[in-house]
Amino acid sequence: MPAAERRSGRHPANLAQIAWALAAAGVAYALVAAGTTAFTRSANIVTAVPIVALAVLVVVRWPLRTRRLQLDPVEAPHPWRAWAALFGAVVAWELADYAARGSRADHPTLSSMLDAVDRYFVLKAFVFFLWLYLGAAIVRRGGRRQGRQRRRSRQAPTGAP
Amino acid sequence: MSSAVSYAIWALLGLATVLLWARSRAAGPSPARPAVVLERLATGPILRVVLVLGWMWVGWHLFAR
Repeated sequence: MPAAERRSGRHPANLAQIAWALAAAGVAYALVAAGTTAFTRSANIVTAVPIVALAVLVVVRWPLRTRRLQLDPVEAPHPWRAWAALFGAVVAWELADYAARGSRADHPTLSSMLDAVDRYFVLKAFVFFLWLYLGAAIVRRGGRRQGRQRRRSRQAPTGAP
Repeated sequence: MSSAVSYAIWALLGLATVLLWARSRAAGPSPARPAVVLERLATGPILRVVLVLGWMWVGWHLFAR
């Protein structure tokens, strides 16, 4: 039996259909959101809905206590170091541009660059969809280990010591 | 400092992200894949709170304010 089917207990065709339906719903929602203007009530509502949804999903799906993810130190001696360094460089440059004297055009921050992108409907829809996708990935990844632990406990024989 | 320098550094940081992403998919000792990094953040007791609040703030800041 394929791994995806074993994990979910659903047929792979159904899983694919669900994934496509969610992706289509996300695209449709992003297109609606791209039609709103910042600082308006409609923009507040379309942004607040995913935020509230994520908060509910996190409470429902994530375990109360977590176990930190550990990778094999032989296979991956420093798995996080490069990402942490890159994140630090991005934050440092963002702060340097933010604090620099002069116009925002001379010292663009990530926000100002994305503001420029958001002037185009399709690009704004794309950025909004990426934000939704990241939210869905956060919920999925945070609940993944809980799912594994539940499955293990379900698969364990009842008379086992 | 002109805006060209600032944009150039942003472009370099973007390029570094793409290269790191590609490197993470290579065989042998390599940085963790982005999905694994996300899982590490989402399973840390404090980091997962920061991650969720950060995602919420980014959305509100970019699209609603």
